[in-house]
Amino acid sequence: MKSREEIFQTVRTALIELFELEAPIVVPEARFDDDLEIDSIDAVDLIDHLSRIFDRRVSPRDFRSVRTVQDLIDTIERLQPQ
Amino acid sequence: MKRTDFYWLRLVGTGLWFLVFGLVTFVLGFMVLPLIRLVTPNRQRRMLRSRAVLGAGMRSFIHGVSDLRFIEYEFIGREKLGRPGQLIVANHPTLIDVCFLLGFVPTASCIVKAGHFRNLITRGAVIGAAYIPNAPTEEMIHAAEAALQAGETLLMFPEGTRTVPGRPLTMQRGAANVALRAARVLTPVYISCEPSTLSKNLPWYRIPPSRPKWTLRVGDDIDLAAYRGVPLPIASRRLHSDLAGLFGGATQVRD
Repeated sequence: MKSREEIFQTVRTALIELFELEAPIVVPEARFDDDLEIDSIDAVDLIDHLSRIFDRRVSPRDFRSVRTVQDLIDTIERLQPQ
Repeated sequence: MKRTDFYWLRLVGTGLWFLVFGLVTFVLGFMVLPLIRLVTPNRQRRMLRSRAVLGAGMRSFIHGVSDLRFIEYEFIGREKLGRPGQLIVANHPTLIDVCFLLGFVPTASCIVKAGHFRNLITRGAVIGAAYIPNAPTEEMIHAAEAALQAGETLLMFPEGTRTVPGRPLTMQRGAANVALRAARVLTPVYISCEPSTLSKNLPWYRIPPSRPKWTLRVGDDIDLAAYRGVPLPIASRRLHSDLAGLFGGATQVRD
């Protein structure tokens, strides 16, 4: 079970590595489409990458309502084993 | 421009062929493919049989229209297509491009418009042959990945839809992404049609003044190793931009 802060750091590292984003723009409020310019194909890559790191099989359906980095962190936290 | 090559005969003929094509697709999708499903419980064999039937249909269509001299075509390097785990990417200037490719590479799977899975006429055919709908994105990418990993040949039109003549070619990044995820080999096919016909902005009856000729040229395999070693999103952007350059240079899109 990882803390919210740990999840945020993992997501942030992934975003910086995968998409060559500048660290300061990757904040919890950042929107994937407008602020980070992550499109639907990038999203598939990101989710595949994170599901390998967290060792969880996820369904894309779990991520349908994700708009911001914070939404993603919440979703990952929810998917963790209790 | 002067109307040549038996214009009126070609016009009536083109209309008739469209009618026949629709009818045959319907009969295949509603009668032949369900029959195949009935007698072939094994999924893998059912898929291959369905594709063989559809491929034969499309091949006969191409032979029909070219034997009757409504069109001419030249397919250069056809023997390089149909290898296991091969992703074929092609530009998409005309309505019948897919008939050439699936007609002559009938074992291949194909990414098709999700709407074809709802359309009553095409539904039976695309389900029977286990083609892959282009939406939603994540399902398309994972299904394409699985097909290539299973050793299927896969056909994709990266533009997603037909090119509008006179507009620059715009491609989606999905093809590059799928190629880097799972393709053993990536092969481009450059399609051109002269004079332009059956394009996006034209109804079927606006046939060209002279007999149109399709040229399909199979390009050299693209070396995927050159793109490895960086994260997938970065690699797929590089491959995508190289593919766009390759197709932009190889096909002149004109009015």
